[in-house]
Amino acid sequence: MVSVLRSQDPSQRRVLDSATRQRRLTRQLEALEKDNFQDDPHASLPQLVKRLPQFDENNESGKRRKKTRGDHFKQRFRKNFQALLEEEELSVSEGPNYLTACAEPSTLPQRHFCAVCGFPSNYTCVSCGARYCCVRCLGTHHETRCLKWTV
Amino acid sequence: MTTLVLDNGAYTAKIGYSHEKVSVIPNCQFRSKTLRLKTFTANQLDEIKDPSGLFYILPFQKGYLVNWDVQRKVWDHLFGKEMFKVDFADTSVVITEPYFNFMSIQESMNEILFEEYQFQAALRINAGSLSAHRYFQENNSELCCIVVDSGFSFTHIAPYCRGRKMKDGICRINVGGKLLTNHLKEIISYRQLHVMDETHVINQVKEDVCYVSQDFYNDMEIAQLKGEENMVMRDYVLPDFSSIKKGFCKPREEMNFTGKYKTGEQILRLNNERFAVPEMLFHPSDIGIQEMGIPEALVNSINKMPEEMQPHFYKNIVLTGGNALFPGFRDRVYKEVRALAPAEFQVSVVLPQNPICYAWEGGKLLAENPDFEEMVVTREDYEENGHCIYEKFDI
Repeated sequence: MVSVLRSQDPSQRRVLDSATRQRRLTRQLEALEKDNFQDDPHASLPQLVKRLPQFDENNESGKRRKKTRGDHFKQRFRKNFQALLEEEELSVSEGPNYLTACAEPSTLPQRHFCAVCGFPSNYTCVSCGARYCCVRCLGTHHETRCLKWTV
Repeated sequence: MTTLVLDNGAYTAKIGYSHEKVSVIPNCQFRSKTLRLKTFTANQLDEIKDPSGLFYILPFQKGYLVNWDVQRKVWDHLFGKEMFKVDFADTSVVITEPYFNFMSIQESMNEILFEEYQFQAALRINAGSLSAHRYFQENNSELCCIVVDSGFSFTHIAPYCRGRKMKDGICRINVGGKLLTNHLKEIISYRQLHVMDETHVINQVKEDVCYVSQDFYNDMEIAQLKGEENMVMRDYVLPDFSSIKKGFCKPREEMNFTGKYKTGEQILRLNNERFAVPEMLFHPSDIGIQEMGIPEALVNSINKMPEEMQPHFYKNIVLTGGNALFPGFRDRVYKEVRALAPAEFQVSVVLPQNPICYAWEGGKLLAENPDFEEMVVTREDYEENGHCIYEKFDI
């Protein structure tokens, strides 16, 4: 095991710069916001099958509700979060709003944990900046994750 | 005239008539890879025999209602014949919204409530305001309280004085139950078993097994011990939906510390993940989110308030929301706030019996309040004045 590590000479491995590392971190955080990591099971179904149930619904509720007014209505109801946030930024008014309410960075120093086992870590991978706690974890990190996909 | 109270959350909707009990129902649609043609809405989740690889369609994104198509389908189901059978012409609705809700969402909400569903009257309010109302009902000698609402999408800390929220003190931490579950999925997928698709199952694991540690570094050291001395480690039996319907945590007596288990069950061995995951609520920087945790944000919020009110806020801290159910959450918040607060102030942290439904209970009390009629906006008001009515609500 030790000889495998020694052959990964530091001068031969690629080293990521801080901008790339920051981008990777942002990518990881955004991935944590996802609802689903798999694809929609309905994505591959033909459109025809999905039309049928809607026909029944319209018959029942035709009396009760005002029909929604078509495209303009639907367009307004389909903005995604990013669009709403940009709108909000444009119309910023005095006083507290969504953006000012966000918590500030902590005054305490950041704690670091090994990317492999989760225990407190003291060392950083030279190439990609990931944390590790011991030589065994470094080995696992090099074999599985280090630079395996790049931003 | 009946009143329907709906705490419209990003994960669950707490809904019920003000004279009846509350029901907690998932506020989303599901699709399963086994039952391909059907989309399940809200509590139809119970009909799915095999919730593995369940695909969620949530109307909320980052805590704000963006997808009205899905929300309307869920509401159609809840207000319809199978659930609450709402008679719109005779019902007023109390509905919750997040803090600093965007104007276009508020307008859409008005339109949908009054023009599509045609409720007789509506009251839009923040969930924290309902919790504060409930708290002041029980403690009517207190003037101020500070509500910590730690939910699915984020955590809000909001100070209330004499029943009104203090906007300058509202603080939002972008860590919620969703982040905790996704993080847990990632670390389990890396260390043991690929579970990135299994949101429903891992959410159950998180609720059963995770706890908030009182002494983080001490627990880390205990977790590094081997064999029986490791009091932190637990084995969790995953469901296979044929014989084992729901996953459960193996009790310590049955655990096999050396070697493998003889039975064919799939086991997850959880060690430091048990307390490292909820730790993110207290230190979001652990994962790289540069924000302060709940205790620091509490102290920060209170410091923005006028000096004479500060001791009152420290005495009335209320924890609500799903994340408050982690074992040890209340004690940890107390310990950290006590350490950060000035020594002469008295600190008191309250964890209600049911943190998830606390805001709903506040809504129920509000509906029974004699001033309720003046607080709502009726459909006639809306039709005359249009969207100007939102000024009355001040969300």
